[in-house]
Amino acid sequence: MQVKSEIAGSVWKIIAETGAIMAADDVIVILESMKMEIPVIAPKAGKLMQLHIAEGDMIAEGQLIATLE
Amino acid sequence: MNWDSEIDEIKQRRKLAKQQGGKDAIKAHHEKGRLTIRERIDALLDKNSFDEIGEGAGVPDYNDKGKLSDFQPANFILGFGRLDGRKVIVGGEDFTVRGGSPNPAGLRKSVYTERLALQYKLPLIRLHEGGGGSVGGTNKEKDRRPLGDPVFNESRFVPLAETLSAVPVASAALGPVAGLPAARLVASHFTVMTQNAAVLIAGPQVVKRALGHDMTKEELGGPQVHLASGAIDNLAEDEGDALSQIRRFLSFLPDNAWAYPEKLTSQDKADRCEDMLADIVPTNRRQPFQMRKIIDAVVDQQDGGSSFFEMSRKYGPSLITGLARLDGESVGIIGNDCMYYAGAMTAAAAQKLRRFVDFCNSFHLPIVSFVDEPGFMIGPDSEKAGTIRHGTAAISAVLQSRVPWASVQVLKAFGVAAQAHFGPDGYVLSWPSAASGALPVEGGVAVAFAREIAAAEDPAARQKELEDMLAASQSPFPRAEGLSVHEIIDPRETRPKLISWLHLAVAAMQTETPGPYLTGMRP
Repeated sequence: MQVKSEIAGSVWKIIAETGAIMAADDVIVILESMKMEIPVIAPKAGKLMQLHIAEGDMIAEGQLIATLE
Repeated sequence: MNWDSEIDEIKQRRKLAKQQGGKDAIKAHHEKGRLTIRERIDALLDKNSFDEIGEGAGVPDYNDKGKLSDFQPANFILGFGRLDGRKVIVGGEDFTVRGGSPNPAGLRKSVYTERLALQYKLPLIRLHEGGGGSVGGTNKEKDRRPLGDPVFNESRFVPLAETLSAVPVASAALGPVAGLPAARLVASHFTVMTQNAAVLIAGPQVVKRALGHDMTKEELGGPQVHLASGAIDNLAEDEGDALSQIRRFLSFLPDNAWAYPEKLTSQDKADRCEDMLADIVPTNRRQPFQMRKIIDAVVDQQDGGSSFFEMSRKYGPSLITGLARLDGESVGIIGNDCMYYAGAMTAAAAQKLRRFVDFCNSFHLPIVSFVDEPGFMIGPDSEKAGTIRHGTAAISAVLQSRVPWASVQVLKAFGVAAQAHFGPDGYVLSWPSAASGALPVEGGVAVAFAREIAAAEDPAARQKELEDMLAASQSPFPRAEGLSVHEIIDPRETRPKLISWLHLAVAAMQTETPGPYLTGMRP
C-alpha cells in the first residue's frame, strides 16, 4: 500500500522506522506545511516496508511518502 | 363489440415495457454487479409506492396483420413515489436499452422529470447510468423522427437550471455516466457515485481520437478524479450506500423552496457540555487539531452517532461542509480543517463554500461556522488557480446570505478570507484560543519589522520577542470588551449557547413567507 502526501510542505520529522509494525492511524512522518506540523498517518495497519523521503525534503502534493505491506 | 382487445393490448404493452433491454441485457447488467433502473427505484422508495409516468412511451413493432409484436421501451424510467413517507420524483436511464443513450421517448421522459419536479414542487432524485447522444442514433428506422426540436421550443436545459432554485435535487452515478446524463447528474445539490461508476464528458475512444490519450473510463472519470474535481460530492461503497446517502441528505431539507425545513424531536440534551472541547485546541499553534471532533461534539447525537452528514470532503479539503441537526433543527455546518494547509482558503475551497452558502440559502438552513481561517492560500499554485477571484466570490455569497448565521471562532480568523465565515447579523462566539488580525503573527512580524529584526543583536530572539508581544494583542478578551464578539465562552458551552441562539433565529426567520433565494444555486 502506498502512502502519499495530501499536501505540499517539507519533511519535519520521521517518526516510524522501516520495518515497524503500524496500526491504523499511527504517525509515519510529520510534515511542516504553512507553519504547522501535519502528521502523515498509516491509513491501515501494516508493516512499514520503505520510506521514500528524508528529513528536510520538500514534498509535493500527491508525492509518495511510504510503502506499507 | 367491446374494448377487450384494446384492454388486452394495454396489458401486453405494460408487460413488454417491463422487459427493458431483454433478458440477456439484464443478465449482463447483473453480472457487472449492478441493479437495473427498476430494481434501483424499488430499492430507494418506500415499498410499493412507485407511481410510474409514461410507462407506455417507446417504439412499437407491428406484424403483417398490424398487430403489436414487440416494443422497445423508453430508456428513461420516471415516476412519483414516497421516500420515508415523503412524496418525491425519481427518474433514471435504463442502461439495458442502448446503454442508456437516450432513445427518443427516453429523452422526452428525462426532460419531463425536471418539469414535473418544478410543477409539483417535489424533491427530485436521479439515478444515472447512461451515455449521451449517439452519432448514428437517429438514423435507424426505429429512432426516426424530425431532426432537432422546433425553434419555438423552450430549451430542454431550462428546467435543469431552474430546479436548483426550487426543489432539493440529489443524484447518483451508478455506472458509466456520460454526456447529457452527466450534465444532469451535476445539476444537483448533492451527488454521490459508486466505486465502479465513471462520470465523463466523452469516453475513452473519443478522447483517444482527439487527444491521443489511451485511458480507461475509470482513469478518465472514476471516483479518484471526480471527488477531487468537485463534480461529485461523496463516494458510496455500493448502490445501497448511494441510495441511503441520498435518503440521509434529503432528510435535512424541506420539499421545496417555499417551505421551511422540518424540526425533528431531538434525541440529545440541549445543555450537553463536552469536557473534551476545553482542551482540544493545542496551545502550541504549530500543532493541528481535528475540527470534525468539535463539530461532532456540538451537533445532535442521533441514533447512536453524530447527526453530521459531510459533503464534498475530498474537494477543497481545507474547508469542511455538511448538514447536521442542532436540537432537532436542520443546519448547514462549515469548518476549517487545519490538516490541509492550516485550513487556508484555496480556489477549490472557495468554490465549495460559495455553492454551499447558496444551497443553504435556497432551503432556509441556518449556518453554523467553526472558524480557523489563516487566510487565502498563498504561493504560486494558488495565484495560478485564481484563488483571489474565487475567494472574493465566496465572500460575496456569504455577505448576501439571508439565513441565520452563527460563527464560533475556534482559533484563527485572519486576512480577507476570515470574512467568509461571518454572515450578516451573525451571532459570534469566541473560544479563549481565538486569534484575529490582518495576518498571522508568524508571517506578519518578519515583514512588518524586517529592519528592526535585521538590526538587532540577536535577530531570531528579537523576532520571537515581537511575535510573543503581538500574539498577546490578538487575544479575544479586548474584542469582547468592545462587543466585537457576542461572548467569549468556555468551549464546553458551545452547544447550549448555539441552541439558545438557534431557536430565536429560526423563530425570527419563520415570521417571513419562505420563497426562492435571490441567486439560487448553480451547478
